[in-house]
Amino acid sequence: MTDHRWTPSEYDLTEALRAHYAAPSEPGYWSALEARILAHVARGAHVEGWWSALAEMARPALAAAAVLVLVAGAAVVHTRRIDARDAYASVISAAPPSIETAARTSSVADGDATIDYMLSH
Amino acid sequence: MPAAIDGATTERAIVVAAQRGSDEAFSALVRLHQRRAYSVVRAIVLSHEDAEDAVQEGFLHAHRALDRFRPDQPFGAWLYRIMANAALDLVRRRKVRDADELPDNIALPFRDPAESGELRERLKEALLHLTDRQRAVIVLHDVEGFTHGEIGRTLGIPEGTARSDLHHARATLRRLLQNIRSTP
Repeated sequence: MTDHRWTPSEYDLTEALRAHYAAPSEPGYWSALEARILAHVARGAHVEGWWSALAEMARPALAAAAVLVLVAGAAVVHTRRIDARDAYASVISAAPPSIETAARTSSVADGDATIDYMLSH
Repeated sequence: MPAAIDGATTERAIVVAAQRGSDEAFSALVRLHQRRAYSVVRAIVLSHEDAEDAVQEGFLHAHRALDRFRPDQPFGAWLYRIMANAALDLVRRRKVRDADELPDNIALPFRDPAESGELRERLKEALLHLTDRQRAVIVLHDVEGFTHGEIGRTLGIPEGTARSDLHHARATLRRLLQNIRSTP
């Protein structure tokens, strides 16, 4: 048994490609495929119809949810503002004596202590 | 070319009727284009079964997008672009699935050496060495007779890229198919 080897020409290659990729030739095949395509499209359209209906129903719910989120957000912002205002108010009402007053008081007190010290010695 | 003009006018009328919701018109479009659509997707996917799935999916996408199609454009080019996208999408999904599911040892399909010529078998294996796009380009060009421009429009690539892919695909196949053992 001899082992012949050869390299296919462009023509051989194209012919082999055509054979490999040949579409079915029976007419019955194409009418069956057409029926399957149309059934698939009908199923897809049916599913799409359901999704559309669900989307229609979901639209008001989404709008309500969006309003709720906005209201909740506004409430949070309002609460934070009140908290901040209260915090400032508490800081202002419990403020220590002014620096000038405190400095003057301490300097007078220091002077008295110095005079007492000098008199006592 | 009066026949071609008549054909285009008829097709446009069918498309417009389908856009208005006529199921019969859409069936007519399927009948007119399913063979070519099959060829386009078959050039991209790896098996006849995948081609059937891609054609069905492609027509479903076309049906959903039909109201966005402008009837003054060639319907075939629009449809085949959708088909190519459906096929490419299926190839991508198959790759993800195969990467998840394939065992380490992949069993080769049964081959009857008496029935299958060596060239056919080697070609099947060699085609797997091409990229998806190169394979699609060489099949659309050499088997289906698409021009480079048509291939570019169908696959959404520049015409020059289609030419380059064709060149590389042929070179790869030639290299892989050298010194084939001939069977009597």
